[in-house]
Amino acid sequence: MKLSRRTKVAAAVAATASFALLATGCSASGSDAGTSSNPITLTVTTFGTMGFDKLYSQYEKEHPGIKIKATNIDTGDNALTDWQTKEAAGSGLPDVQAVEEGWLSKVMQVSDQFNDLKDYGANDIKSRWVDWKLKQATDKSGRIIGYGTDIGPEGLCYNGKLFAAAGLPSDRDSVAKLFGGDNATWDDFFKVGEQYKAATGKAFYDQSGFIWNAMVNQQPEGYYTKDGKLNIENNSDLKALWSKLAGGAAAGLSSNQTQWDWGKGKAFTDGSFATFVCPGWMLGVVQGQVKAGGGDASTGWDFANVFPGGAANWGGSFLTVPKQSKHPKEAAALAAWLTTAKSQVSTFQAAGTFPSVTEAQSDPGVTGDSDLTKFFNNAPVGKILAERAKGVVAQYKGPDDSVIQSQVFGPSVQQLDSGKANGDQAWANAMTLLNQLVVNK
Amino acid sequence: MTTVTRSPEAARATPPRDSEDRALTFKQKLSRFDVKASPYLYIAPFFVLFALVGLFPLIYTFVVSLNNWNLLTGPGQWVGFANYVTELKDPFFWNSLFNTVSIFLLSAIPQLIAAVFIAAMLDQNLRAKTFWRMSVLLPYVVTPVAVTLIFSSAFDEKYGLINNILQSVGLHPVMWKTETFPSHVAIATMVNWRWTGYNALILLAAMQAVPRDIHESAALDGAGSFRRFFSITLPSIRPTMIFVIITATIGGLQIFTEPKLFNPSSAVPGGPQRQYQTTVLYLWDMAFNRQNFGRASAIAWMLFLIIVAFGVLNFLISRRIASTEARVHRSRTAKRLARSRAAAASTSTSAEGALALAAASEEKNV
Repeated sequence: MKLSRRTKVAAAVAATASFALLATGCSASGSDAGTSSNPITLTVTTFGTMGFDKLYSQYEKEHPGIKIKATNIDTGDNALTDWQTKEAAGSGLPDVQAVEEGWLSKVMQVSDQFNDLKDYGANDIKSRWVDWKLKQATDKSGRIIGYGTDIGPEGLCYNGKLFAAAGLPSDRDSVAKLFGGDNATWDDFFKVGEQYKAATGKAFYDQSGFIWNAMVNQQPEGYYTKDGKLNIENNSDLKALWSKLAGGAAAGLSSNQTQWDWGKGKAFTDGSFATFVCPGWMLGVVQGQVKAGGGDASTGWDFANVFPGGAANWGGSFLTVPKQSKHPKEAAALAAWLTTAKSQVSTFQAAGTFPSVTEAQSDPGVTGDSDLTKFFNNAPVGKILAERAKGVVAQYKGPDDSVIQSQVFGPSVQQLDSGKANGDQAWANAMTLLNQLVVNK
Repeated sequence: MTTVTRSPEAARATPPRDSEDRALTFKQKLSRFDVKASPYLYIAPFFVLFALVGLFPLIYTFVVSLNNWNLLTGPGQWVGFANYVTELKDPFFWNSLFNTVSIFLLSAIPQLIAAVFIAAMLDQNLRAKTFWRMSVLLPYVVTPVAVTLIFSSAFDEKYGLINNILQSVGLHPVMWKTETFPSHVAIATMVNWRWTGYNALILLAAMQAVPRDIHESAALDGAGSFRRFFSITLPSIRPTMIFVIITATIGGLQIFTEPKLFNPSSAVPGGPQRQYQTTVLYLWDMAFNRQNFGRASAIAWMLFLIIVAFGVLNFLISRRIASTEARVHRSRTAKRLARSRAAAASTSTSAEGALALAAASEEKNV
């Protein structure tokens, strides 16, 4: 289409006019602090249950120049799609964007699209978080792009009644000892599993996916080396873990459940399995599943202060300030406030998200009794999680980490569980997929 | 103020209108313009909107498909048709096409047969007609997401209703979500449940437009209801059939919601081993999980071309079928007519005369 001179003139006039509008509009809402009569509106996008709702109104009360417009997306996956789309489109992102650890590797590919929070005082508060949480939010060039909210230190959920029925110890401390206490290994785990299977004929854990996830996450290096090189095919550590996993599945220890479905909770109440991998936030999921399956606290689920193979973390989130934000200073201040020890105690009580701030972890509001402790046979959930958070390392996650986890190993894990392939075959299949999906993409 | 001798209006009015038919008045011009251009203006919004939300994305997608384009980091280098070549070599692309076509056939064929049957039944003299007609449309009103949630739970391998029933009568449970053929059947069932009634209503409308007197005269000539259905009803609703088949093809090849939500927690969209990953689901996975926008766009374009090809093929086949049918009929009728004439020549009985009459009227109807 060729523009006539008149259209060009008209376009120029329109452009100037809109620019003028934009300029005046900007000076009206200004980069200077908002006032109660002319407040700044900050948009916040979160997902799942993050427990911020009460905090927003408190913040608005304490800061009359700020109005908060919050959007909560139902799941982390949908929030990822939302963020990716807006990031790709170059507009529409909020002032404060919550980011999940699972997609942090994607975020890090475009970390320059986020504000360096050091420009807004991150250095003054960075000691508040456990060190590895801060490290996760720091990009390659040392910029801090997110403030940590919760973390997901992993403990072991087990069903005390089923353990007792199998002749195994069922109180929390003995169970921790049974798996090897502080030195618990995956070998111990599978050995106990075989005992359980021999006594009851039933599966020991729900499915292999979460176990593999934990195994990989607790290594100092996962699918990538520290300097960002893909390291799977000749990684003997991973291969050895895979053999253990395959051995467990071959021994019938996996119940081959559909993850995130579990027969709509039925599997948690009908004795299909007796142990379950439990990061802090998973406790709420277990509670929900048991209730959906028609059970309650008497179903027997408990939470032990032990995890095979050493400390592991799964999940947890960050609050970031995208470059698209027009009020980065105010947004960063809000993000910092939402992640103070006090705020994190409040979110733990509201949503059960375990704090990443050290001071909050020992707060009586976290260590004390709650609905969750009652559900888990009065297990001191907060105290156990604080113990489990010790020794976690921040593993480097490469850009294709989530694809490798779900699409390279996902199918093979399912083959193990359904008995369609043995360990070596399933590993070989995973390597084929790796080459097809990641190496030669 | 008073110096003005001639008003501008007067000055303008001076050129005389010499003849009405040579120079039209503004009003006449306007009405001529109205007649000529208005239809285009009225239809313009559709085309403007289509250009905006249809044509532009189509072309833009094509441009993206010629680039190495990451969802997050944006356009990379220009690669020409390399994305298309990669896709054509990718076994997952072919797998997705196989799944799509398989699910499409499993859904379209039974669905159309059932829809024609239901429409024929509804075309009879039923009591409470509107009730039956609205009832078949009910599944269509339910949102596909809800349908999928219900069916997904019913088809659950361990705890689902269907496997429970199978096991209670001593059969083996079917692996609806982890094996290829059962998963295709399950997804096709969802599609059929949703669309059969809708198609039946459209076909019913067509059937009702078939003139009743043709039916009556055929009945008088002794044609039974089956004969009338195959010789009168089906050929008469051919254009509607073609429409239904083409829309079913387009919809069937774009199937997404059902496979996406059939097992939403699956690590790989479309089943652990991609057993029911349809092409659109593969496209979505490529764009949003694997972040490869370039290849995703290439898939989108190839799918577009495949759908167009399928549409044309469908059209040709359905036209062919109808015309061969007519040809077969014509030759069969001619043969019978000749036979009965020969018979009539030797012994002219009333029965054979009637047969000849029936054959003749059949020829007319074809």
